[in-house]
Order: sequence, then C-alpha cells, then structure tokens
Amino acid sequence: MTVQELFKKIFFVEILKGMALTLSRLFTKPVTRRYPKEKRPAQLGFRGLHALVRNPATGDAKCVGCGLCAAICPSRCIYIYTSEGPDHQKVVDRYEIEVLRCVYCAFCVEACPFGAVVLTPHYEYADYSREDFYMTKEKLLENWDKYMGEKGFEYFDKFWNPKSTHFTTPEGQAIWRRKSG
Amino acid sequence: MIKLTIDGKEVELEKPVTVLEAAKKAGIRIPTLCYFEGLSPFGGCRLCLVEVEKLPKLQTACTLMAADGMVVRTETEQIKAARRAMLEFLLINHPLDCPYCDKAGECELQDLVAKYGPEAGRFAEGKRQHPENFDDPIIVRNMERCVLCTRCIRMCNDLQGAYAITVTGRGSHSFVEPFSGGKYNCEYCGNCLTVCPVGAIMSRLHRHSYRPWFVEKEVETTCGYCGVGCSLILQMREERIIRTIPRVGLGLNNGLLCVRGRFGYDFVESRDRLSTPMINVNGELRPVSWQEAYEFVIRRLKEIKETHGPTAIGGIASGRCTNEDNYMLQRLMRFVIGTNNIDSTARLYYAPAVAYLEQIFGQGITANLIPGIANSDGALVIGGDPTTINPILGLQIRALWRSGGKVIVVGAPGGLKRFASYEVVPRPFAEEIVLSAVVSRLVKEKELKGELTHLEEKIKGLKEPAEGDLQAAGVSAETIDRMVTDLKAMETPVIVIGPELLQHGRPSKNLFLTAALAYAINARMFVLSERPNYQGVIDMGCLPDMLPGGRPIDFEMFRHKIEETLGKEVPQNKGLNLFEMIDAAADGRLKALYVMGEDLLFSLPGREKTRKALEGLDLLIVQDIYLTETAKMADVVLPAASWSEKDGTFTNLERRIQRVRAGRTISSGRPDWQIVSEIARGLGDDKVFSSAHDVWEEVIHISPLHAGLSYEDISEGKAIWPYHGEPLRGVEGEFDVEGLDSLPKVDTDAIILNMHRPLYHSGSTSRRSKALISIFPEPVLMMNPSDAKGIGVEEGEKVRLATSNASIEVKVKIDRDLQQGVVSLSNTFEGVNFMRFVDYTVEPTTGSMVITNNSVKLEKVKE
Repeated sequence: MTVQELFKKIFFVEILKGMALTLSRLFTKPVTRRYPKEKRPAQLGFRGLHALVRNPATGDAKCVGCGLCAAICPSRCIYIYTSEGPDHQKVVDRYEIEVLRCVYCAFCVEACPFGAVVLTPHYEYADYSREDFYMTKEKLLENWDKYMGEKGFEYFDKFWNPKSTHFTTPEGQAIWRRKSG
Repeated sequence: MIKLTIDGKEVELEKPVTVLEAAKKAGIRIPTLCYFEGLSPFGGCRLCLVEVEKLPKLQTACTLMAADGMVVRTETEQIKAARRAMLEFLLINHPLDCPYCDKAGECELQDLVAKYGPEAGRFAEGKRQHPENFDDPIIVRNMERCVLCTRCIRMCNDLQGAYAITVTGRGSHSFVEPFSGGKYNCEYCGNCLTVCPVGAIMSRLHRHSYRPWFVEKEVETTCGYCGVGCSLILQMREERIIRTIPRVGLGLNNGLLCVRGRFGYDFVESRDRLSTPMINVNGELRPVSWQEAYEFVIRRLKEIKETHGPTAIGGIASGRCTNEDNYMLQRLMRFVIGTNNIDSTARLYYAPAVAYLEQIFGQGITANLIPGIANSDGALVIGGDPTTINPILGLQIRALWRSGGKVIVVGAPGGLKRFASYEVVPRPFAEEIVLSAVVSRLVKEKELKGELTHLEEKIKGLKEPAEGDLQAAGVSAETIDRMVTDLKAMETPVIVIGPELLQHGRPSKNLFLTAALAYAINARMFVLSERPNYQGVIDMGCLPDMLPGGRPIDFEMFRHKIEETLGKEVPQNKGLNLFEMIDAAADGRLKALYVMGEDLLFSLPGREKTRKALEGLDLLIVQDIYLTETAKMADVVLPAASWSEKDGTFTNLERRIQRVRAGRTISSGRPDWQIVSEIARGLGDDKVFSSAHDVWEEVIHISPLHAGLSYEDISEGKAIWPYHGEPLRGVEGEFDVEGLDSLPKVDTDAIILNMHRPLYHSGSTSRRSKALISIFPEPVLMMNPSDAKGIGVEEGEKVRLATSNASIEVKVKIDRDLQQGVVSLSNTFEGVNFMRFVDYTVEPTTGSMVITNNSVKLEKVKE
C-alpha cells in the first residue's frame, strides 16, 4: 500500500468525491419522468394495443376477412371467422386477437391489404384477468375510436405506408372493384 | 429407350411421354395452368413453354412428346419473359379480388403471378364484368375469374362423362356455363371444383367460411356412403369439417369423388343427432345418463337370457358401421350371450349374392380390383345402375367404354345411357329369360373348361327359352345373337351384378345364370354394394352361419380354434337370419333385439309385419346416430358416434380394407364398439378394449383371413384381398338352383313399383345432409312418359300411388330412360319410401328376399 492510497483511505476521498457529485446533481434538472403523472408520448410507429380500423363510410370494420394477418402471425394469435352474408358477400363474424400471446412484430399490419388492422400508440392496458386481453372485434373497434380515431389515418399513412395504397391498380388500368353489398 | 436432356439433366424414358411428364420424372417442375394429371393435354395456357434446341420457337411441354436426343431448357430469360407476358394477358380480365376470393392461398394463378408475373398491367381497357351466378344450390360460378383453361370441361367430358358444361360466347366474353343454364342439371360430382385452378367454380357449402391456411387438421379417411370406399380428406377447423376433398394419387378413386362423398358430409352435424341415451318409460323416451342406460340394458339382457335362454336374443349389425363395431356386436352375441342370432341388412341382397357365388367358385370370387375395370375389354351390367349405386365404379365402366370396350347393359341403362354399346331392356323381371337364352347359346358355341363339374352339369340341365318366351320377355332373337357374339369376343370381361338381380324373380336362378356366364367367358364379377361396409359385416362374422373370416359355423374345427384363442364357447347351432328374426319376434320366440345402426322399419319391406314384430319384443335396443323410426319404438336408445367421429376400418366391395379415421373428436355419441364393449363387460366379459385398435388386434388373432394385418399395413394400402391370411378353400361345389328347367311367366299388364336408387341419396342418412337435400329435396315417383300419358299426368303433378300396404300422394317426375310399365320410388324420405309399399318373401335357396306386392295402382290426383 502506497502513501497515496493510505491517505485516500484515511480521509474518505472517494466518498467525498461521490458526495460532491450528488450535491452538484441537486441543482440540475431531473432526467426521470414521473410516470404515471407524466406520460411519455409514443413515437411514430410505436407498437401498442391492437385496433381494427373503423371505416368512416360504413361504421363497421374495414377488415374484409382475407385472413392474411392470421397467416403471417408468427405467434398464431389472430382468429378470424367469416361467413356468407345475405347478399353473398363475405362477412367477418369474429375477429379476435389473443393479446397476451402477441409478440408485437406488426407483421399483421404490414400484411393487411386494406390497412384494416393497426397497432395503436396506446400502451397502458395492464389488467387483472386474461379475459381482458382477449380482444374481440367490438373491443378492437373501440380501441380504434379511443386511441386513434380520425388522426389514425394520417398516422397510419405516414408510418406504415399500407399496402392498400399499392393495392389499387394504376390509373387508367383495369379497376379492382368490390361488389357493392 | 428415349434419352433427352432437361436443364442439363439426363432423363431416360421407358415409353414415350410428354416433355412435361419427363421433366416431372427428373424432378423438374414446369409451371402449368391448363394441364391436369389424368386429363387430355390442351396446350392452351402457354405457361409450360420450354426451349428446345433446334426448334425455332418455344414449345408447350404438355403437348410436346419427348424425342430421343432432345435438349430442353425450362427456365431461361426468354421463357420467363414469355410466361410473364402470358400472365399479363390473363390478368387483363382476371379480377384482383383475392382478399374476397375463397381460392386465394391455393390459387394456381396467384402462385404463378407471384413467381413470374408482372407487377403492373399495361392494359387500360377495363375488365369484363359478369355477375356471379347463384342459381345453383351447391355450385357458384364467378366467370370473371375464369382463365379458360377448360380443365373443368375436360374433366366433365373425359373422366366424369356428364357432358354438362361448355364454353359459351366468344373472345373475352367466353364463359364456362352449364348447358342447362343457371342451375346445373348434372351429376353434381363436383370434380370441376377440384380441377378449377382459380376461384371460378366453387362450392357454396363452405363459401366465405374458410381460408386454406385456416385448416388445422387434415384427416385421411374413407367415404361412408357406398361400397366403393373412396379415399377422401377431411379438412377440419376447430372440430368442424370445413370440406372434404379427394387427392390425386390417393386411394382407388385417384382424385375423383361423387356427389355424396363430396357434398354429403354435413349429415354428421345435423340437428337430428341424438345427444343423450334414452329409456322408454311408459311409452315415452326419457333422457338418462350413460350409466343408467348401460345398467338397464345389462339388467334386461341378463333377465331375458335367464328366463328364455340365449337364443331369445338377436343382434342386427350395420353396413354403415366399421369392421370393429360389427366385430364387437358379433362378439357380444356369440361369445358373451351365446347365440348365433346375428345378421344385417346385407341380407337384403349383398350377403346372399356373395355367399351363393362363393359356394360355386370359392371364397373371394368377387374380390376383383375396381381400378382394373377400365382396362378390361368388355362389361356386362345387370341388375342395377352402377353409376348411381357405386358412382366411382360406374366411372370405371364409362372409361372402359371410352377406351373401346363393349358395354352391354341388361335393364334400364340409367347413367350408362351414353356409355353402353347397347342396352337390352327386357320386360320387368324377365332378365332370367334373357340370361337363360344367352347362357344356352353360349355353351353351345363355346366349349366349357371342365373345371367345375357341378356348375357344368347344371348348365346342361338348363331350359333354353323358345322364341315365344323371348317375345314375351320383349327381347328379339337378334339381340341375343348379338349379345352372344360380343360376349364370346371379350377377352378380359367384367360382370357387374346389381341388387335388382336378387330382389326380383328367382334370385338363385338369376345368380346361377350370371355365374354360368362368368364361367363361360371367364369374367371377373363385382357385386354392387349400397353401404360402405357390407363386405366387412360378412367378414366380421355378422351372419347366423359364419364365424369371423368367413368360416362356416358347421365346422367344429373353426369353432374350436376360436375357443382356444379366446377361451370362450362358440354356440353350435346356426342362428336366425334377419327375416327369421323378424318372424321369430312376431311369434314370440325372440324376446330381445339389439339393433346397431339400422332403421329396420324404414329399410325392410313389409313394414306392418316388422312393426308388429318389434312391438312384440320384450327389449328393443337401438343404437344409432338419429332418432329413427325404429329408435322411436325402442326400449332404450343409445347415441352412437358417426362415421367422421370414430376410428376403424371399412372393407369395400372389392374387399380392400381401408382406414376410417376420426376427424371430429367431440361427439354426443360414443363409438359403437365402445358401447357394445361396455355392455359385454356388464354381462361378464372380462376383456377390456380401450380403442378400435384393440378390437382390430383381436380380429386379426381370430380371423384367419385377416391374420397379421396391422393398422400400419392397412394405412399403406396393403390390405387388398387375400391379405396375408388364407382364404377358405375346398368347401365350394354343392349348390342348388330353383327352377332350372322352367321359365318365369311375364306379366305384361301390371305396373310395377321398383326401387329408385338415386345418385344423390343413400338410404335415410343422406336426407340429413342439407347439400344433398337441396339437389333432391322431396320424394318423386319416376315414370316413363307413355305411362304418365296413360293416366294423364305431367311432370310435377301428383299421383296417388297405392298397393295393399299404403296409398300415398306423390309428385311425378318423367324419366325417359325408364322401362314402360315400371315406376320407381326411392327409399329415402320418411313417409313416402319404397319399402312402405311392398312386401317380401324369402327364397330358401339363397336366403335373399324377393320383393312382392309391387304391382301398383296409379291415379291422378285432382286439385
């Protein structure tokens, strides 16, 4: 042990240094957020709670039940049940996401040809039972209204650049058309 | 030997095939759209284009025959560009509605475009429009999606032979339409659905209810409708059958199905399914628990056995149940209760026919391969229409005719109308005269082999019909000449025997004549089977005089063998057959009847007699999937698992054993073998069976026929007659024929009611299928136009149909192919079924029933 080290040991130099830093920090701005009083805004493309886009024209989901999201889903947590409607159109009876199994990869959002399923910026949805995390079609539509609403379309286009924009055929070319139900 | 190079790979060919097939052999996939295995090449889609050295232009691989020294390239830039262009052309009109289209995910066009296709089209003219067509109850056509590959048309014409659809219109307005307009007027085989590469022709049954990737489970099983036993795949999602599909290369149907197999699966989900066991309390069926039901059955069976002896108990097995189910019932009756009173509705024609023929020729005479029919050079069809009773067997006969073979039909040709060289239509039930004439002439012109002396002696004693007899039968001497000449010329002939041959006239003589004919021309014989497992019922020993494996009960040796293996006593005396059991029940000798999967009131003639007999029973146990008419009379009703809910095996009419696998695992019923096993244990049986496999293990120990045949062997398709076991030899020879030296009188005035065996229905099961009922919704009386004219009715009007048994109003349908003097009614619909009108007698020689009281009175109903 050298003299220098002995000196440091006797006079608690390290501790004093630390205390000095602590003292200096007392007079700076805090870096932590006081969650939940203070909330951090989600960045564009944040993958939060799932929602089904509500079509403003019909009031129902934009989803047509093509099932591509269920096909791409790596954790197989999307269940879709469709049937034939009175005018022979395709009707989505049930669209369900088992949120607890979701890995938030957002492949479903990317796969959707209509931009009908989205991950909202909402992330505060802790709850007490598993049932609360089983999202039915109604719950998912509600999520859209609550956490996205009109601003959602803008948000959507900006970040996800949905396939539906590619999906329309080029100007002047044969039109992709949907049977009016 | 042809040698060619494909993509640098050397390919050697034994026989000349197309370049496409040669490439397939070398493991090179050439993309196709209009090509389909088994159909004639078309070369219309231009996607299989390949480059062949020294040929200036690209060639279609599906039509180009491989030649020696050819150098073929399948994926070059030039080819890719050509394919891209072809796909761009197709997409001019093909709508891009993949998210809505049910085909997406298994669409060949989609896959090809993903691989080769252009990212954008350059055609600005707009797509053609053509509304989807929903006129048909089962098939929906969306002709906007059609790419005119004509696979459906080639399938319909070349393989199915229905000739129902064609391309109509010109240019981009060419669409595939049925000749009948909106609604199909065809056999509804649905094979056009299988071959359609896009979503242009689709089934409505599961429309918009699935995506191909939603299929959670695929179960390979055997169809439960008829005795052919087509392999099919149940595609399941969450315990529900989404659809059934065939697969090319799988099973003897090789990618083909008929209407019942493809669309009739939904009977298992019918609302009429029984959900709980029931016990009759004061004339009313009350739901009880399984335990109560078992205890009731066991207690009552014990009581009856003690007071009246084991022979007062009888069992009816079912041609719709698996081998395992039938074996267990047989086991319960023989080894646990101790009676040989066991039989099934195979008695109505199938069992007597097979037994009689085996008596003449030896065991396994009817075990011939169905796919071999198409390779024969001639067929004689007699006693029923194979295209409706066993449709896939019928297709084989059509294929035989198409490849140049002679098809002779005796009787109304039905679905073989366009596929028969000629038909010989004698007056009703005068087949005996025609056959007698043919056999007598044939043996005069062709020497017999001298192998079966018994048969030859009897043939010598046969009375030859005179000119007058033939006239009465409505057949000219020239026709007989023609038949004899054609039959003589056949080298690998086939004889198909239908149920009508046994159910009318003199069954033993008809069968004897057919056997004589088969012997004289060396033909293979097929007996049509309406139920999937009639042969299995026989093999499992559900006969009053046969043990499992087709061993006669008379031989002490066979009884001993089983006694040694099982440690159980086998009753010695022959039991009662189906008809004897009914008689015995009527006069009080039979006290208890265990009916498994059979609706006796519905499927036997002489309804009043059967009803009285069943009423007289002390105990009637009915085990079924629906509350049938018989079940309504029962003392206890046990709900069974249906065909798609249990494991087991079926034996088809060519004696191929095939696996039946459970698709749905949730069922309100229990597998038949399990119910029977529980009851057997209550009656003192010590053996525990925990699965169908256990039952089969015992079968292969007991039946010398099935010795060592494991489930694995069966799955691999090795279970073709004579399996690994040994058929019984040396008991053939002795047989009797009734009326060898006489000929029947032909009644020309009476109008005869015959049984209609429609393609769309199979007994009462099919009426619980919504799809089949939408094609054939109500009972109709089929009538010849001139008969209809005679009483002044037209199609759709009602007549009163009366015999001494029943008098019921029924709608008329005109059928030009029906013989004059015959009307026919199906045995499908409750209240108006064929069996309700007629009675029967039993021919002692064969034990087959003969339908009587079938001359009817017809009267137009005035509205």
